[in-house]
Amino acid sequence: MEQLNLLLEGFSNALTPMNLLWVLLGALLGTAVGVLPGLGSAMAVALLLPITFSLDPTAAFIMFAGVYYGGLFGDSTSGILLNTPGNSSAIASTFEGHRMARSGLAAKALATAAMGAFIGGLLATTVVVFFAPTLVKLATAFGPAEYFALAVFAFLAISSVVSDSIVKGLVALGIGLVLAMVGVDGPSGTIRYTLGLPQLFDGISIVVITVGLLALGEVLHIASRIHRDPEAVKIKPSGRPRLHRHDIKKALPAWLRGTAFGLPFGIIPAGGSEVPTFLAYGTEKRLAKRRGDIEFGQIGSIRGVAAPEAAGNATAGTAMGALLALGLPTSATAAIMIAAFQQYGMQPGPLLFERSGPMVWTLLASLFIGLVILLVMNMQFAVLWAKLLLVPRHYLYAGITVLSVLGVYAISAALLDLWILLGVGLVGFVMRRYEIPLAPVLIAVILGPLAETELRRALTVSEGDAGILVSSGITITLYSILALTLAFTAYKHVRASKKAKEDAELINA
Amino acid sequence: MSIQAPQATEGTGNGTGTRRNAAPAQNFFSGRSELIVPALVLALALFLTWQTATMEVLGKSVPGPQFFPTIVCVLLYGVVIAHTIQIFRSPRGGAAAPAAEEKQYKTQSDWKTMGMVVAGVIGFILILPYAGWILSAAALFWVVARALGSKKALFDVSIALLFSCVIQLAFNAGLGLNLPAGFLEGLL
Repeated sequence: MEQLNLLLEGFSNALTPMNLLWVLLGALLGTAVGVLPGLGSAMAVALLLPITFSLDPTAAFIMFAGVYYGGLFGDSTSGILLNTPGNSSAIASTFEGHRMARSGLAAKALATAAMGAFIGGLLATTVVVFFAPTLVKLATAFGPAEYFALAVFAFLAISSVVSDSIVKGLVALGIGLVLAMVGVDGPSGTIRYTLGLPQLFDGISIVVITVGLLALGEVLHIASRIHRDPEAVKIKPSGRPRLHRHDIKKALPAWLRGTAFGLPFGIIPAGGSEVPTFLAYGTEKRLAKRRGDIEFGQIGSIRGVAAPEAAGNATAGTAMGALLALGLPTSATAAIMIAAFQQYGMQPGPLLFERSGPMVWTLLASLFIGLVILLVMNMQFAVLWAKLLLVPRHYLYAGITVLSVLGVYAISAALLDLWILLGVGLVGFVMRRYEIPLAPVLIAVILGPLAETELRRALTVSEGDAGILVSSGITITLYSILALTLAFTAYKHVRASKKAKEDAELINA
Repeated sequence: MSIQAPQATEGTGNGTGTRRNAAPAQNFFSGRSELIVPALVLALALFLTWQTATMEVLGKSVPGPQFFPTIVCVLLYGVVIAHTIQIFRSPRGGAAAPAAEEKQYKTQSDWKTMGMVVAGVIGFILILPYAGWILSAAALFWVVARALGSKKALFDVSIALLFSCVIQLAFNAGLGLNLPAGFLEGLL
C-alpha cells in the first residue's frame, strides 16, 4: 500500500490554495475549449505551453491535468445541444444525447454525460494509481530494442486505427517523422534538413507544430467552411440538470460498461477515445435491441449517453498512466503533455517516478481533485456553459489566431517560427480538407527522435545484426500484438468498404 | 455560395452528372483534387532524398545519421504510390453516393475567406517588428473577424485593441515576458 501513502502525500501537496487555484483554472479552461466545437484540450495545452513556461512545473502540470479532463467533460455539451460534438471523442454520445435534447430531456442528458465522465475518469485514475508502479517496474526492464518496438507499435497502431484508411494514417506519420528529423542529429552532430538556417539547429519546436496543426489549421479550416455550412439549430436546456434515483439505476450499468471499454484503450496507442466510445455505444445499442428498449434511437436513451461518456474519460485516465509510467503517448493530447514535460527538462517514463516522484503524485492527486471540481462545475452550471456557444464564431476564431501567433512568438521571439507556424497551419488545413488524421503527426514528432536513437543504439550494440530487434520476450509480444491489431483493422476496413459498395449498388439498382 | 453555382450547372450538362442530380462535373479531376496530397508528399520525399544523399556526415558511427531518414524515405515513397492508387480507384463522392448528396454543399472550399485569414497572418508577421505587438495583433484580430463574417467594423476595432492590450499587459506585468513594442516604444 505504498501507493496510498504516496498519493496521500500528493494530496497534501495538491491541496494548497495556490495549487487548487491552478486546478480550477485548468478545469474552467478545459471545459470551455471542450464545449466549443472544433477546439480540444490538445490545442488548449499547446497554446498554454509557452505562456506557462515561467510557472513552476508542478503548477503547470496541475493546470494541464484540469484542462486534460475538462476537455472531455465539456465536449458532450455542444454535441447534446447542437448536434455538433465538441470533439471526436463526443461523437458517439451525441447520437442519443441530441435525441434526448430534442425530446426535452437536455438537462438530464447533460447530467448523465457529466456523471459518466466523472465515473470513467475516477475509476481510471484509481487504476493508474495502483498499476503505475507495476508499469514502471516493467519499463525498467526495457532496453533499446524494446523501446524501438514500443515506438513502432505506437506509430503503426495510431496510423491504422484513427483514420478510415491506413494509407492516410501513414501519410500523417511520414510528415511527422520528417518534421522530427530537422535539426542537429544528437549522436553524430550532423546537421540535417535545416536548409542552412542556424535557427533550426535545435529542430522545429513542438509548440510550433502543435499550434500550427491544431489551432491555426482549425482556423483555416473553419474559414474555408464558415460561409458554406448551415447554422446548427440550438436547443436551449431548461431546468437544473438532476438525475433521479431511477435514472441513476438505469445509467449505472452503462457507466460501468463504458468504463470497462475505456480502460484498456488508454494504454493502446489508438489515438484516444474515438474507438472505445464507439464500442461502448455499439454495445448499448445491441443491448437495447435485445431488451426491446424503444427509447434507444427514438426519444434518446440515457444509457446511450452514459456509456460512451464514461468510456471517453476512462481512456483519458489510463492514457495518463501510460504517459507517466512508460513515456508512451496514446493520443494527440497525451503527445502534447509529453512535449510539456520535455519543455521542463523532464522525460516521462520510469525515471520520472524516481526523479520527480513528489511531482508525479501531486499530479495524480490533482487529477482526482480536478474530477470533483469538474463534476460540480458541469452538473450545476451546464446551462451556463452552453451560453459559451453564443460567442460569435468570428470573434472566437480571431482570438484563437492571435493566441496562436502569441504562443509561438513567446517561445523564442523568432519571426522564422511564425513563418513555420503558417506553413504548418496550411499543412493542417490540407490534412483536414482530405480527412488525414492529425494525431499520427504529433505522435511521430514526439516518438520519432526516440525511435531513431533507440534503433541506432540497438544496432550499434549488436554490430548491425537486425535480429536484436526481435530477440526478447517483450519485443516479440509487442510485435505480435501489433500484427493482430493490424490484421483486425485491415479486416474491419475491408468489411466496411465492402458494405459501402453493396449499399451503393443497392441504391443504383 | 456563389462559387458553387457554376459547378452545379456544369454538372447537369454532363451525362453522368444528371443521374445524381446535384453532383458536380464528372471530368477526370473532379473528386480527385485529393491528388495534391500525394503530390506534396512526393515533393517532401524528393527533398528528403536529395538532402540525405548530399548530407555532410560527421563522425563514423554505424548506423549513421542517414540510416533512419532512408527508412522514412522508403515509407514516404510507398505511401505516395499507395495513396495515388487509392484515389484513382475511388474518387471522393463517387463511392459514397448517398452521403455525397447530403453533403453536397460541403465539397468546395471557400478560398476567398481562407485567403484573407492567410493574408492576415502574413501581414502580421511582416509588420510585427515595426508596428509592435499591440497594433499588429489588433490588426490580425480585426482581419480574421472580418473574414469570418463580422459586420461591425468599428466595434471590432475596439475589441481587437482591447484584446491585444490585455495580452500585452498580462505578458509584461504578469509573466515578465517582453512583446515587441515597435514604434510605440517610447510611448508605452
